[in-house]
Amino acid sequence: MNVQKKLLIIDDDPDFVGGIKSILEKAEYNVDVAYNPKDGFQALQTKHYDLLLLDIMMGRGAEGVSVARKIRKDPKLREIPVLIITGIREQIAFLFPGQPVHPHFVEIDELVEKPVEPKFLLEKVGALIKMSEEKKSQA
Amino acid sequence: MENKSKIVIIDDEEVVLDSCTQILKGGNYQITTAMNGDHGLKLVREFQPDLVFVDLKMPGISGFEVLENIRELDPTVVTIVITGYATVNSAVEAMKNGAYDFLPKPFTPDEFRLITQRGLDKRRLVLETIALRREKEMLREHFAAIVSHELKAPLSAVQQNLFVLEDELSDKLTEEQKIRIERMKSKINDLINLIHTWLRVISVDVRKIQESFKPTSVTSIISKAIESVQSHATRKDIELVSSVNEPLRLVSGDEGTLVEALVNILGNAVKFSRVGSKIFIKAKEKENDLIISVSDTGIGVSPEDLPYIFEDFYTGKTDQVNEKGRGIGLAITRRIIEAHNGSISVESELGKGSTFVIRLPVL
Repeated sequence: MNVQKKLLIIDDDPDFVGGIKSILEKAEYNVDVAYNPKDGFQALQTKHYDLLLLDIMMGRGAEGVSVARKIRKDPKLREIPVLIITGIREQIAFLFPGQPVHPHFVEIDELVEKPVEPKFLLEKVGALIKMSEEKKSQA
Repeated sequence: MENKSKIVIIDDEEVVLDSCTQILKGGNYQITTAMNGDHGLKLVREFQPDLVFVDLKMPGISGFEVLENIRELDPTVVTIVITGYATVNSAVEAMKNGAYDFLPKPFTPDEFRLITQRGLDKRRLVLETIALRREKEMLREHFAAIVSHELKAPLSAVQQNLFVLEDELSDKLTEEQKIRIERMKSKINDLINLIHTWLRVISVDVRKIQESFKPTSVTSIISKAIESVQSHATRKDIELVSSVNEPLRLVSGDEGTLVEALVNILGNAVKFSRVGSKIFIKAKEKENDLIISVSDTGIGVSPEDLPYIFEDFYTGKTDQVNEKGRGIGLAITRRIIEAHNGSISVESELGKGSTFVIRLPVL
């Protein structure tokens, strides 16, 4: 059997996290959670994860964006695939006026809207991890 | 300590410059002086003062010109004119042209301190007003993003957990229970969409779509709008009959919002039509306008409601409707059409049906 994949969720809404965490655990993923950007970034630096699920609107604004920016700047972390989960698409457009709705924060990322259907969530997570593994094996 | 207030004094008499500087010495000010208008304006540009004293009578460019230049440079700078008794009239003239106050010569140190303080107070008020106005504007623009997050986050969490419950209990739930969960999901989904729409009405200036106008085909708008309401119509066994007088000229517009506008009208027509009836969608050119009409044989609108149906949150007084709207679709439609320099009108008879007519100028 495949080694269990490790995922990290960074989201400040425990109720929402509860909802997606159980979907992912049922699908045999090992899931860690950080409820604020600071803990989240620390977790990323100390442990290896196969994928990050990142909320955008946290704390006093779009703090998820600064996490994404930090990841992009870090040579070790920038390879990690990121699934961005956000309340509404307009928020992204509003943060990046004039840019396409999907801003590509990091090399491999996807954007889904809250709430997300379990099947759709698992598809996206699976596809992103696969994409990043293929990229690694080519390197 | 607070930032020092910056003051420029422009006067051709050295003794005035010196005494003014002396009077304000030790206060929380940063003072520069100029002996003529040109030099004074240079200081204003470089120094960006809060307050400027200008002597009206100077050799070289006049005090009036200096005032005018300052106002062009930065209208928020507070200006006070210094003038002799003989020229009080011109001081009044200067105030009519935007100077905040005047200071007649000779003046006492107390008078000068007082007027300086008043000028700086005025400057603070001006800056505060600007900041507040900007804040208000930003708040309005970002209202949708901020508030919708607060409203939608808990709903999303509920919905997310419903998804999970449904999934986890899929082999234990009876068909009836599954339908209940389905209903909950669909209600929450409606609520999330509702928040979206309302916030759009409140905070989005629909005229902004004009920035992205392109030549647009009305034929394609009509077919997209029909596609979007087709399944609702089929469920009610309503036939959507469209006839387009090809070829039609293009209009300058935004396809997405025009489709939305038409979907709102078609959606209403389906909603308020009787099972098994027909809805007619027609498009033709008339002089320099494109006319799109949507006719149904549904419940119609009463004459007393008719004048208000394009207003925000109007749902009609006559409560004989099974499927009640949210009173917002037609208001959005009107705004979208008006943003396209078009117009929308309606004719209706209670119990007989309604006809909506959209007029858009052709390219």
